[in-house]
Amino acid sequence: MGLLSILKKMKQKEKDVRLLMLGLDNAGKTTILKKFIGEDITTISPTFGFNIKTVEHKGLKLNIWDVGGQKSLRSYWRNYFESTDGLIWVVDSADSRRLEDCKKELHSLLKEERLASATLLVFANKQDLPGALSGVEIMKALGLEHIKTHHWQIQACSAVTGENLLDGINWMTTDISSRIFTMD
Amino acid sequence: MSRKAASLKSTAAAATKNKEDGKGGVVPRVTEADLLSKKPHISPEDVLKLDRATESYLCPLQANIYDIEFTRFKLRDLDSNQVLFEVSKPQSSPDDKSEKDDESRFVRYHFPIPFLDLKTLGATIEFTVGDREVKDFRMIERHFFRDKCLKSFDFNFGFCMPTSRNTCEHIYEMPVLLQSEKEELISHPYETKSDSFYFVNGKLVMHHRADYAYVSAND
Repeated sequence: MGLLSILKKMKQKEKDVRLLMLGLDNAGKTTILKKFIGEDITTISPTFGFNIKTVEHKGLKLNIWDVGGQKSLRSYWRNYFESTDGLIWVVDSADSRRLEDCKKELHSLLKEERLASATLLVFANKQDLPGALSGVEIMKALGLEHIKTHHWQIQACSAVTGENLLDGINWMTTDISSRIFTMD
Repeated sequence: MSRKAASLKSTAAAATKNKEDGKGGVVPRVTEADLLSKKPHISPEDVLKLDRATESYLCPLQANIYDIEFTRFKLRDLDSNQVLFEVSKPQSSPDDKSEKDDESRFVRYHFPIPFLDLKTLGATIEFTVGDREVKDFRMIERHFFRDKCLKSFDFNFGFCMPTSRNTCEHIYEMPVLLQSEKEELISHPYETKSDSFYFVNGKLVMHHRADYAYVSAND
């Protein structure tokens, strides 16, 4: 993060944090968002656009953006990179067939200049499904251990049960706060 | 709880004077009449200077050249996790006449009095976008009781994909009101009003209005 963007953050009265949640279609992004905010998750349909939640969390104003992951929509993702403090990459841990595609999309995002200062949280979602790969297996499949450019963490979770969602978000907001707001 | 749309035929509000800010300075104010005479378009900065709710619309319906359509509104109480209010727009055909008059952009709400004591609310809007992408979409919503601003919400959606369906839930703490202020709101139905302004590339493209009454459950 450059000095200019640090100064810009410091000028803001509210501690606005922008989180961008991406991943392949059917990874469970919208379900994670709704579960985290305590909304009903019984009827969720594919996102053809975005879902935003703005919420106060630990003294921060989180703006969480969940953008549709269908192949035809991925070329629009770049329109949402600007000012992103945290990137949440959601993986369907039971969809081993598309892990290679998932890895490719993630690594192309990590090369984006406008995401260069973002903290990366990977949710290895759908741990409730039989046959789901573990967090460590997903970490290896996505080559996360080779990432040197971003602060990152992987969190095995289940959007359906809510397991570990809060842990992941807490890690991310703590990491972002320590990077951005230490000069307050 | 009931909801009914009504059209208003009032003209622009009477001119208001600049307001002292209490520190010896003067906050520049602008009146609705000033803005209505302003051409060719209204900016976010313009509406942020208004010190009360509007009495008419600051742009014509035809300004919505991006076919942005609001399809759902939901209000929930996060403390009890209950949906307080939800309304969805039925699918409409493009030549449905009723969509094209001012009734479609005004809502009158009747809320139960206990709503004034809620602490944390979540307001969800859902909207669809026409065939063209929208580059810079911004929403400013302001709630007033007479000339007191109860709440102001300013959010930049930025880019919206063509033919997309998008949602935004804004979770917020209810403004803290004194008991005497709550009683004022209750005893003056429809004087609590809100304006929702929508801008694309800094130009006003939609303006929705609402007013509110707080009523006891057996009314």
